[in-house]
Amino acid sequence: MIKISSLSFTYPQSTTAVFNDLNLEIQPGTMTLLAGASGSGKSTFLRCLNGLVPHFSGGIISGKINVFGSEPIKEGPEHMASRVGFVFQDPESQFVFDIVEDEIAFPLENMAVPRREMHQRVDEIIHEMQLTNIFRKNTRDISGGEKQKVVIASALVCQPQVLILDEPTSQLDPVAANEIIKYIVKLKSQLNLTVLIAEHRLERLLPYIDNILYLTQDQKMVYGHPQKVLPIMDQVPPIIDIAKGLDVFPLPLSAEDFPDEKKRFQPVEKEHPHDENKDSLDPFLDVNNLSVNLSDQKILHNISMQVNKGEILIIMGPNGAGKTTLLRALMGLIPSNGSRHFMGDDMTKMTLTQIIQHIAYLPQNPNDLLFADTILDELKTTLKNHNKSLSPETISAFLKHFGLADFQHRYPRELSGGERQRTAIAAITVHNPKIIFLDEPTRGMDYKAKETLSDLFHEWCRQDKSVLLVTHDVEFAANIADRVAIIEHGKVKFYGSPKRAFQCYPAYQSQTAKLFPNTGWIIPEDIVLTT
Amino acid sequence: MKTAVAWMLWLITCMVFILSTRNPIYIMVVLLNLLILGNHLAKKKRNNEWLKHNTFFLLTMIGLSTIINSLFAHSGRNILFTLPKGWPLIGGNITLESLVYGAINGLVISALYLLFNILNLSLQIKQLTRLIPRAFHPIAMMVTIALTFFPSIQQRAQEIKEAQIIRGNPMKKMQDWIPILIPLLVTSLENAIQLSESMTARGYHVQVNKNTNLSLVGLVFGAFSIFSAWILQLYNYPEGILFVLYILGGLIILLTLLHSGKQRTSTQYYKEQWGFSDLTGAVFMSVYLLAYISLLSYNKLPSLFYSPYPNLSFPPLQLLGLLFSVLSIFPLFLSFND
Repeated sequence: MIKISSLSFTYPQSTTAVFNDLNLEIQPGTMTLLAGASGSGKSTFLRCLNGLVPHFSGGIISGKINVFGSEPIKEGPEHMASRVGFVFQDPESQFVFDIVEDEIAFPLENMAVPRREMHQRVDEIIHEMQLTNIFRKNTRDISGGEKQKVVIASALVCQPQVLILDEPTSQLDPVAANEIIKYIVKLKSQLNLTVLIAEHRLERLLPYIDNILYLTQDQKMVYGHPQKVLPIMDQVPPIIDIAKGLDVFPLPLSAEDFPDEKKRFQPVEKEHPHDENKDSLDPFLDVNNLSVNLSDQKILHNISMQVNKGEILIIMGPNGAGKTTLLRALMGLIPSNGSRHFMGDDMTKMTLTQIIQHIAYLPQNPNDLLFADTILDELKTTLKNHNKSLSPETISAFLKHFGLADFQHRYPRELSGGERQRTAIAAITVHNPKIIFLDEPTRGMDYKAKETLSDLFHEWCRQDKSVLLVTHDVEFAANIADRVAIIEHGKVKFYGSPKRAFQCYPAYQSQTAKLFPNTGWIIPEDIVLTT
Repeated sequence: MKTAVAWMLWLITCMVFILSTRNPIYIMVVLLNLLILGNHLAKKKRNNEWLKHNTFFLLTMIGLSTIINSLFAHSGRNILFTLPKGWPLIGGNITLESLVYGAINGLVISALYLLFNILNLSLQIKQLTRLIPRAFHPIAMMVTIALTFFPSIQQRAQEIKEAQIIRGNPMKKMQDWIPILIPLLVTSLENAIQLSESMTARGYHVQVNKNTNLSLVGLVFGAFSIFSAWILQLYNYPEGILFVLYILGGLIILLTLLHSGKQRTSTQYYKEQWGFSDLTGAVFMSVYLLAYISLLSYNKLPSLFYSPYPNLSFPPLQLLGLLFSVLSIFPLFLSFND
């Protein structure tokens, strides 16, 4: 059992406490979901349970924590390793060794387990977790999902009673993410683990969890059964929103739980915002038969698509399908065959300097862009790069769009993930480009940060700018898409209206589409009821 | 042959041979053998370009060494042509002797390069880090992590550079590199913190050695003993005293390392399996080395020493010398069974 009594914690050099007088009991063998906005203290709470807080982080802690008889605050993380397995967000930055099996054995080495026993336990976990075909491979050569499995195996090899996962799926595509979650659920019952998992995209986890631990912005927390906690949370997945609107009780945690009688009504014929967009005659961006070969391998085959004025085009597809390659090829960063036209001009004849005047590109990691001391300097650098200048008032007004007006003299890297992402977007768009490419801008963001982003994109569309966005986030995409392209194995599998994309392809179905098939509804706002 | 110890013995033996001879024919024989051995090992790893790349590299190195030596060393009787005396440094006679001397230098450097290249082909990083004494465990850990991280940092640098170029960074002046260096530095630091967090959560901690002071004293004494023996040697002190001091210093250092190594309470997952080929290889290399050193000290191998000066002549050959140079290929015969 995990027992926490009157826990308070304050980070060093901070005046406000992350927690104030927390009391909690978590029963063994249960799975608890940690929910709450970014910065509500989810990671800090998890780190308290294995002693990383305060032993690694520093800070002032008071109160008592008891994890199956051990006290992490007293014993420290090194000694908690045998009781608590901890899995972090990004598997790649956790690898110590280059070979999978060495990586798994690492905690056993630290605990001085005799070699013979060590081999026995590593073999066991490799079989249990179905890693037999990769355990001799290099950690660089395995897929993202496999990497996360290796990290979990390395946490479980010490046979802990508790498994803690801090946003374990935020770096994975939806297929791999679902696989990892099902895998964790299976391991939980197999090994009788107590699981605590922090996650922003609640819809993935709701069907599997026993309890929710909800951390509110005002350092309070609510713990209990999902039916008890979900009604008081302000940011919930679409299915809960719909259920609340339709007075469904108990709240359905997955599409299968949704009572059939509530689904049975006639959809109303109405003018749809997600209807087929006609190809315009003078598109902003016109791509025809684009193919890319990288080191003798064909990555993209004959891609054709258009981006129209004031339109958001969403590109989806599994990891490794060639989505990022497509963006880079469109920018002319890698050689490609086929034609690319920007407002009628042949892009193959344009230099990179000319292209970036019109097209901005946000890479996957916003940290790649940020280096200046203040947000304002970040923007000025881009303007200087393009030999432009703007008056301070114009810049302030520009920053207001991004909700960053109050932060303009702050250091970008100390902002939250969402604010940092917006700073990066502001830095690449301040010179007023016509099209903006974004590569997975919502990774690891909470619902609120995503909402701010979609408002921003809609504002751009009103200004006749276009957005081309690569994402794995189906719900986010369903909310903003004007048109969708699905790319698999380097080919366009689907290109057309969001209505069809989110209804017809099971892997890309939004929750609303799952509940109301054949209605053309893809987001909760679409639902119109007649009884 | 798979174990690090056997391969290290091979490396030492070949190095001793290459560094002790100046006979170009012997070194060429060694080079040829190393190329065959390396090509075999590389093909096993499906690296078919190895021979092509390395032959090209070696030829360039030998060529450069030859040209540079002939340009800067002007002594010798066989003058090919003369550069004007007025040219600084390179002005003077270009002689055949100097060309040959430079080529021999190039051959030696090439052979040494190939030795390490082959070692790299045949061993994994973890096998090499295991050779670092347990007392220096944190250092071995650091080397392992650094080698695991290097490729990923390289890739990050490329990504950041691209991101900044798309943002319009012209990448012309030194200043334009700052937007690349700062994100790279900060990201690497953030990654390092995450890695150390993950290592701590998995029970890794740098154990504070209770006897740190004792082992430090041991190391200082050992080093002092060896150093004083060396100083005394310069002043021609009797060999007996020097011998005792050298052995004593070496023993103190060895025991200190063993002792502080035992203080560490971690175990190692990876263990090298000694097979028949490793044992054969290790024994063979030791015998080879001993035989070679004793023959060398009894002056039985005069053909090893060759110099193009004062009279340029064809290098002398001995059957025994040829035999020793051929033996560098020995691991090849052992690798067929692996």
